[in-house]
Amino acid sequence: MDNQALAKEIIHHVGGEDNVQSLVHCATRLRFTLQDPSKPNKDKLENTEGIITVKESGGQFQVVIGNTVPEVYQAIGAISNILEDDKKTTDASTNESKGNIVGRVVDVISSIFAPLLGVMAGAGILKGLLLIADNLNWLDPAGSTYTILYAASDSLFYFLPLLLAVTTARKFGANVFTALTVAGALVYPTIVELEAQDAAIDFFGIPVVMMPYSSTVIPIILSVIMMSYVEKLSNRYIHQSVKNFLTPLISLVVMVPITLIVFGPIGVSIGNGIADALLAGFNFSPLLAGAALGAGWQLFVIFGVHWGLVPVFINNIAVYGQDGIKPAATASVFAQTGAAFGVFLKTKNKKLKALSGSATVTALFGITEPAVYGVTLRLKKPFIAGIIGGAVGGAIIGYGGTQAFASGAPGLLTLPIFYGPGGEGFFALILGITASFIISAVLTYMLGFDDPVEETVEEANTAIKDDNIESVDEQIFSPLEGEAIALTNVADPTFASEAMGQGIAIKPQTGRVVSPVNGTISVAFKTKHAIGIVSENGAELLIHVGIDTVQLDGQYFTSHIQQGDVVNIGDVLVAFDINKIKEAGYDVTTPIIVTNSNQYSTVDATAENQVKEKDSILTLVAKD
Amino acid sequence: MKEQNFTITADTGVHARPATLLVNKAGQFESEVEISYNEKTVNLKSIMGVMSLGIPKGAEIKITTTGTDEEEALKGVEEVIKEHLGE
Repeated sequence: MDNQALAKEIIHHVGGEDNVQSLVHCATRLRFTLQDPSKPNKDKLENTEGIITVKESGGQFQVVIGNTVPEVYQAIGAISNILEDDKKTTDASTNESKGNIVGRVVDVISSIFAPLLGVMAGAGILKGLLLIADNLNWLDPAGSTYTILYAASDSLFYFLPLLLAVTTARKFGANVFTALTVAGALVYPTIVELEAQDAAIDFFGIPVVMMPYSSTVIPIILSVIMMSYVEKLSNRYIHQSVKNFLTPLISLVVMVPITLIVFGPIGVSIGNGIADALLAGFNFSPLLAGAALGAGWQLFVIFGVHWGLVPVFINNIAVYGQDGIKPAATASVFAQTGAAFGVFLKTKNKKLKALSGSATVTALFGITEPAVYGVTLRLKKPFIAGIIGGAVGGAIIGYGGTQAFASGAPGLLTLPIFYGPGGEGFFALILGITASFIISAVLTYMLGFDDPVEETVEEANTAIKDDNIESVDEQIFSPLEGEAIALTNVADPTFASEAMGQGIAIKPQTGRVVSPVNGTISVAFKTKHAIGIVSENGAELLIHVGIDTVQLDGQYFTSHIQQGDVVNIGDVLVAFDINKIKEAGYDVTTPIIVTNSNQYSTVDATAENQVKEKDSILTLVAKD
Repeated sequence: MKEQNFTITADTGVHARPATLLVNKAGQFESEVEISYNEKTVNLKSIMGVMSLGIPKGAEIKITTTGTDEEEALKGVEEVIKEHLGE
């Protein structure tokens, strides 16, 4: 069934277009909110080709599609008004057409940040403690102890593009090490020097405008996403034997210059544009300009275009001894802090509560990354609440004419830099940041957000099931090229009975096994014939090359892995000689088993008969 | 808590098939069942856990059961080991 026909079926069986209040999708599921949850015909849906299963959870009606869900979602949008209606109810603002794209971009950014949140919170706390130590004169900021600890705390933030290169590469299936190398080039010492020099730079005659890439987010994400396509293209046309180094070579030669040539000018011109507009604004109406800066500062930071303003602050302080622009940005910091605090108050999800609590504390000291990327931006509405609160606070500060008299990242401990003769501006600042914090917190609490409910629901279940591992939907990709058969058709009762778990089997046509997931090697048998992998999302997989091949004791197998190795989709794990194994009298059919199948409600195998490496072969649907 | 030591005599050690038998047996009981080898201890109800120990022929292993039916659990696991893996 094509996507359009499937979309039609789905709309029909959930009770028609009118019954749909809203529709969103995640990696594998269409998540409907329905007017009348009794209307859908579950049986019909479950038996429709292209639908794996149907679930009801947390007030949502979920149709599990698998990895083609974005296309089906698009198809539903194309043949109905469901997606438009959705926007009307959730977002009454004028730029409706953008709502969806912005939402998806935010989702991508959040998922790219997700693996970093723990270390980010840790580094943020260390940075906050250092600020306190400096303020209380426990540590001399010019001393080497401080320098060492500061490096420990700031490394993550300074080298953020490198960390994001890794997570983006994982998400988009690019080579992690190539991505990391590209990111490294952006903050390479000589490149940083080039930026500082302020001289005309070119790349084979093409002018290059440099911007500082340390701490930036968007350039490396876009760069790695583009690189994933460059890799795919070159992998398709380059011969197997030289692919290993030619593809990275091409990626590096293409991506590093392109990133510098394209992002530099865009980033710098937008940054300068914003700076000019705000400077003009402060002359015209400090109230409005303050509001704009208070609202936009965190947004500028995300796109790295705040770099256009930073030199203005520094220059103002150096030349005039005071700066009237940065104070309004402080409102933005406290607004996002307030929004994170609002989340902390409202959420019932324990993990999110811990995260938003620690993020609030670190953000109070001016380290807003954990609050923004871990909490408010991810949940979307709190970020918007923060923008509104920031605008109000920024307006107060702008109107009050607050000045900064020294440099420093805005935060609770650096407030004294805003204290000048008379103290009136300082009063406005305190009023402004308090207003931003409170308004954002209250708005967040009132507007609410999609509290990640599934985990709490699962907690309730775990008490009964005594099964304390949360599972999430996941795709498993083929480790082999060959003919796919049902696990139950394998000529060995241990596998065929599904006693080890559900899965699929492949009769291999090429003699190598590649990783079916991003994960860690949990079992690397001495006999090399079987590999255990735990994916980063928790699926436990056993790839058992051949039947009874344990008897070969490693003969005809070459292993490329050890227990504990971290592997990515497509990494070669084991090579084997199909013909020799067959000649020795063994069946090479390779079961791929999800040994923790009982943690999933459905393990759905592909309907394709012939699969290539990295084709999707199994869809795991989490229990609710 | 009950525990007992065993020696694995099967030529191929505890590979996928016997691991499955052990895990399925262990899963029939309420008690926590653990297997230790080489100073590592894992849950005997997880195939991946058991296989990650990489138990070869000649290995000394220890089975530990804790819970309401710990006696029966140990007995059940013992039967599987004696029948398929050693003594």
